[in-house]
Amino acid sequence: MTAGAAVDAGEPIRVMVVDDHPMWREGVARDLAEAGHEVVATTGEGRQAVRICAAARPQVVVLDLQLPDISGVEVIRGMLAEQPGVRVLMLSASGEQQSVLDAIKAGATGYLLKSAGPGEFLDAVRRTATGEAVFTPGLAGLVLGEYRRLAATARPAGDEPRLTDRETEVLRLVAKGLSYKQIAGRLGLSHRTVQNHVQNTLGKLQLHNRVELTRYAIEQGLDD
Amino acid sequence: MPGWPALAGRPVVCHRQRVRQNPAPVGTLIVPLWRALAVFRFTALGYVLVLYARNAADYAHPLVAVPVLLGMIAWTVAATWAYARPHLRRWPLLAADLFVALVPLLVSPWIIGRPALADGVPTIAVAWLAGPVLAWAVAGGRRLGVTAALVLTAADLAVRDRLNESSVTPGVLMLLAGIAVGHVARLIGAAEDRLQRAVELEAATRELAAATRERERLARDIHDSVLQVLAMVARRGADLDGEAGELARLAGEQEAALRALVTSRVTVPPDKPAPPAAAGLTAAGSALAAGPTALAAPPAAFDAGPVDLRSVVNGYASSRVSVATPADPVLLPGRLAAELGAALGAAVDNAVRHGGPQARVWVLVEEEPDTVTVSIRDDGCGIRPGRLAQAAAQGRLGVSQSIEGRVAEIGGTVRIVSEPGAGTEIELRVPSPDTTAEEYG
Repeated sequence: MTAGAAVDAGEPIRVMVVDDHPMWREGVARDLAEAGHEVVATTGEGRQAVRICAAARPQVVVLDLQLPDISGVEVIRGMLAEQPGVRVLMLSASGEQQSVLDAIKAGATGYLLKSAGPGEFLDAVRRTATGEAVFTPGLAGLVLGEYRRLAATARPAGDEPRLTDRETEVLRLVAKGLSYKQIAGRLGLSHRTVQNHVQNTLGKLQLHNRVELTRYAIEQGLDD
Repeated sequence: MPGWPALAGRPVVCHRQRVRQNPAPVGTLIVPLWRALAVFRFTALGYVLVLYARNAADYAHPLVAVPVLLGMIAWTVAATWAYARPHLRRWPLLAADLFVALVPLLVSPWIIGRPALADGVPTIAVAWLAGPVLAWAVAGGRRLGVTAALVLTAADLAVRDRLNESSVTPGVLMLLAGIAVGHVARLIGAAEDRLQRAVELEAATRELAAATRERERLARDIHDSVLQVLAMVARRGADLDGEAGELARLAGEQEAALRALVTSRVTVPPDKPAPPAAAGLTAAGSALAAGPTALAAPPAAFDAGPVDLRSVVNGYASSRVSVATPADPVLLPGRLAAELGAALGAAVDNAVRHGGPQARVWVLVEEEPDTVTVSIRDDGCGIRPGRLAQAAAQGRLGVSQSIEGRVAEIGGTVRIVSEPGAGTEIELRVPSPDTTAEEYG
């Protein structure tokens, strides 16, 4: 949240666009530039994206999950390893549910369908830069499903992340298409609290994923 | 073979064509056996000649043996030539082979002399006799091998006036050779049949895999090109009015429909059960599903087997209807999924039709250990209190019949919350039975 704290509304954001479709790359970059943001790099390949990211130091990476060379998850891991403060906003044209979920667990904090309008997109970039989680109803459904899957396959160790009742309630409402404002009104919470609840659901999942990866690495003897 | 359900229904014509196109390896394994037999014939012939050269002095009529030996050489060459041709390996050749082998046997008493034969001296044919036995065994298996061996042994014993152990030995050896080689020949035949079947299976599997790959490539292409362009048009045109705006809306509509089709039918990880072909038919377009794609789905998908509810629900996705589901399949027995899908369809239709032109709809699928919940929310104008009961009283059974009736039938409950101006929320909850069980209720 340190990188995002400095971002105020209206302040230009350094953005990198990763998409293998030239038309999209240019369209998105143009929208960003017109809105006054700084497009520091564009590329259509995952490996190149990881390399460039360290040098270009974007605040937000707008990432298409389907790249020709490596998976979206690998791109996200690579970029976060180089530059832990970078925020990743996924854009995808199709509902590749498993890859979206994997990308979220790997550390992406936002997801938007490509069919979203330019206004919605620019808003998502701005919110991503401030460290806010950008959820579509579809993503909320995936995250809800993932927590339920973890609960159903719980091991005796019992260290799986769980949602509080309130978090479940909030996520369900997000999945049903309610805005944070509507949710706040319905549950009698502040906008900020709703936002925090959503944020926490992602944070716990990402932490769990890192723990799992470490555990796996130790079990496999890959730890060095 | 339960693992190959799709092959069971393949037309026989395909098999015939395939056999013709790639000459099957029929008879290729048995060829070495025929070659070994040819080698044996020449080796045995060599032995016959060596034995003649050594023992001719003791024979009663050594000169008579010369034309017989020449005949044996000629037949060895002729038989080797003939047996090398698969279409000649039939009864005439086999019979001739056996008959020719009898000649040196039957003239042996005259050439060698009866007393010598009675003492157990070999006939001039010696091991050469075994040629036809082996040929019969290779061509027809154990039974024919034994038959040929018995005929020749009988002839061999007939030319001797007195029998002892050494005169029986060749017969026993021939019998043994006939049985052993016949058995091996049968085994090779069976192995060849299996190989043939395996080759055909592999070819069919390759065809299936190629079809699957082609479909995945198509899905990727659609994803990389058409979907991107449609989404772009929808996005660019979203701010425009009039016809351009309408075009953009249509593009968005098509993008959502195509996306649902591509994702529900193809991009299934191999370790997860394939979504049923039937489920994809609901909205997105039956043409694709009825095409070659139907081949890849196991036939089980068409009966009451478990159905992934997600593929049913995804069929309703459009630019106005957003669908949220878990990442993993939500498996329900076919009938349950169909009823739930129909109730969902009625709810979505209702929301789109009565919610007003700008109304949007959100569908959420949740799976808990023992229940599946489908929520349908719209931001339309809502339903006035008592409106549903009033409609039912007027005999318009739309909502209550299609939704509540269906859901009640599969043991579920319906909760409808609506406020004028604030949209409607319908929640369908059904108990999810163990999906390994045959059929619910």
